[in-house]
Amino acid sequence: MTEIRWHSRAGQGAVTGAKGLGDVVSTTGKQVQAFALYGSAKRGAAMRAYNRIDDEPIINHEKFMLPDYVLVIDPALAFTDNITENDKPTTQYIITTHLSKDELIAQIPELQDKKERVHVVDCIQISLDTIGRAIPNAPMLGAFVKVSGMFELDYFLEAMKRVLSKFPQKIIDGNMQAITRAYNEVN
Amino acid sequence: MKGVLATDKRGVRELGAEDLVGWDEVTQGVVLNSFDLEVENPALVPPEERPYSDFNSYTATVASWRVIKPVYNRDICIDCQNCWVWCPDTSIISRDKQMLGIDYDHCKGCGVCVEVCPTNPKSLLMFAEAEDPDAALSQWPEKKKKEKK
Amino acid sequence: MAEKMDLQSTEVWDGNYAAAQALRQAQVDVVAAYPITPSTPIVENYGNFVANGYVDGEFVMVESEHAAMSGCVGAAAAGGRVATATSSQGFALMVEVLYQASGMRLPIVLTVVNRALASPLNVRGDHGDMYLGRDSGWIQLDAFNAQEAYDLTLMAFKIGEDINVRLPVMVHQDGFITSHTAQNIHPLSDDEAYAFVGDYKPVDEMLDFSRPVTYGAQTEEDWHFEHKAKQHRALMDSYVVIDRVFEEFEKKTGRKYKRLETYMMEDAEVAIVALGTTVETAILAAKQLREEEGIKAGIVAPRTFRPFPFNEIREALAGLKCVAAMDRSCPMGAMGALYNEVNGALASIPADQRPLMTNFIYGLGGRDFSVKEAKRIFREQKGHADVGYITTPIQQFSGLRGPKLGFYEVKRS
Repeated sequence: MTEIRWHSRAGQGAVTGAKGLGDVVSTTGKQVQAFALYGSAKRGAAMRAYNRIDDEPIINHEKFMLPDYVLVIDPALAFTDNITENDKPTTQYIITTHLSKDELIAQIPELQDKKERVHVVDCIQISLDTIGRAIPNAPMLGAFVKVSGMFELDYFLEAMKRVLSKFPQKIIDGNMQAITRAYNEVN
Repeated sequence: MKGVLATDKRGVRELGAEDLVGWDEVTQGVVLNSFDLEVENPALVPPEERPYSDFNSYTATVASWRVIKPVYNRDICIDCQNCWVWCPDTSIISRDKQMLGIDYDHCKGCGVCVEVCPTNPKSLLMFAEAEDPDAALSQWPEKKKKEKK
Repeated sequence: MAEKMDLQSTEVWDGNYAAAQALRQAQVDVVAAYPITPSTPIVENYGNFVANGYVDGEFVMVESEHAAMSGCVGAAAAGGRVATATSSQGFALMVEVLYQASGMRLPIVLTVVNRALASPLNVRGDHGDMYLGRDSGWIQLDAFNAQEAYDLTLMAFKIGEDINVRLPVMVHQDGFITSHTAQNIHPLSDDEAYAFVGDYKPVDEMLDFSRPVTYGAQTEEDWHFEHKAKQHRALMDSYVVIDRVFEEFEKKTGRKYKRLETYMMEDAEVAIVALGTTVETAILAAKQLREEEGIKAGIVAPRTFRPFPFNEIREALAGLKCVAAMDRSCPMGAMGALYNEVNGALASIPADQRPLMTNFIYGLGGRDFSVKEAKRIFREQKGHADVGYITTPIQQFSGLRGPKLGFYEVKRS
């Protein structure tokens, strides 16, 4: 079982990102689960989305999770939300920030001893450059593909094209660029 | 003569005197059929020719509820249909806008028809239930003259 | 003709989308609806299908849930296949008309996304609304995940519309935990699904002018009782058709459903009886306990909350040592409904075969029910079993903050 926790603000696309990831994972024959916990359900409110991925049908419906991956798609939540909650010695962090990895870790005491498990990527800037809006979910998926090694980039891009097929070509192209750039830039 | 005014099927049983059958015999969903048979275009078939079922009030009678009854005087009636419109029990029998008489199986003797009758004297008047119709007609009042001021 | 939709053999759908797809595939004639969280996406997605030409039927947006169910009653009496969706307060507002629908024997399908009832206001999942409907004369099918919400919605039409049933059917799924959780779903193709559900066969339809019928007649003490008894009999007997439809569905899909689902009960000593997603979470807990601690734990879960599977419960639980009935609804001055029904089922076996019975009130307003808590409850039942009596209050609250809350102590000697 692989478990993923997304930290996001309502409106940044964590639910869509989690469902899109689930969609792609399902094409590999694996079982997936994607769900979310909203707070007040207002745009901008902190919220969390979750994925579970397994070879067996997933029957666990608890909200409680020991995440293997923590994906933070809002830069401020790394500082204000408890992103290390219920983590494991192996939990990998992918955090969106304009800071360098060292600068970020220097400001977040909880990450001091997890340095080799922290990855940074500027999803906000990438989505502004490629999609034209601050919707950081697609770049985070690119970064996740790289860090997890769960898919080949090309396979993931093809599968995402199908997930996004109802959108105009311009949006699809932007998302493909965003995923590719984040894949290459995450470190 | 049966026909329009009194048919074989109309008012053949006292309302409320139905067989009280058990749970296994009541209809599904309390759905009540109006007819025993299918009828093409029932709106075009006059009531006395429709195969009304025991669930339809057409086959029931409330005549025994009445203590006074309306009597109809054809000689005065102008066929305005006021009584037909106002009767709460659809007990005025009318065809092609011609008033024919009273359905005494369903009339409860409320007197609304008399109230709304516009002729002078009225074409409908209330009499005791036991009064003979011919006797009633023989005591019909004269036209009232308008009082001059 | 409605457009057909190309579906993959595996889709990733949440429970709401799964239910909306099942309604589309059944080609419902009339959906009259008033959306409410968390079932809004069922109505929203269905409206989308209609707008995009995937449905031939009518979609009526009304001004309240009372009007929604009233519209459904009218359309069903007129002679159409009819469905709608609701939750919580909307369900409560529908209640008056739910009784009308079942009394008139109209096979409407209602997809209920279970949510808590105010006050205090809450949009999350618990079973307050499902329990509110339990005397309404509807068949109540309960899904434990999104796939089952899809399957049971298709089967609901076939069960309710059967000439020997003719009763409305609710399909329940847990608010958010199922309705908003995307999982792998294996849908039928449009053609397969419709062939399974079949054409609607109207009964006593008001639009048949050659045979005029009266719906909604008044009955007083002379007739009312007989009609209610006949309706109760139809609901009690509906299990025959439910079993047959479950079998037909298994033949078509390989997915097996039973009116009482049992898991690891062959050698179980202690069990949890539950509804909804809790069933699957408890299965996970039981598997872990069996491996880690050797506790012989099992799960029993009514698939049909109504008609309640009394015989099957009795067979599954006779001879067990201790059973916890889990009620996700606050019973307010009584024991939980599941506890009461299960005890009722067990009253007909010899006392020495009856398990100790406890009752947990849990998960209200969407409070998380964790694997850890399920394991704790199993262990506690094992503790009762080992000493031979219930060492706690019979009714306890699970997952509640503050001092322990429990009621109704065992009377010993």
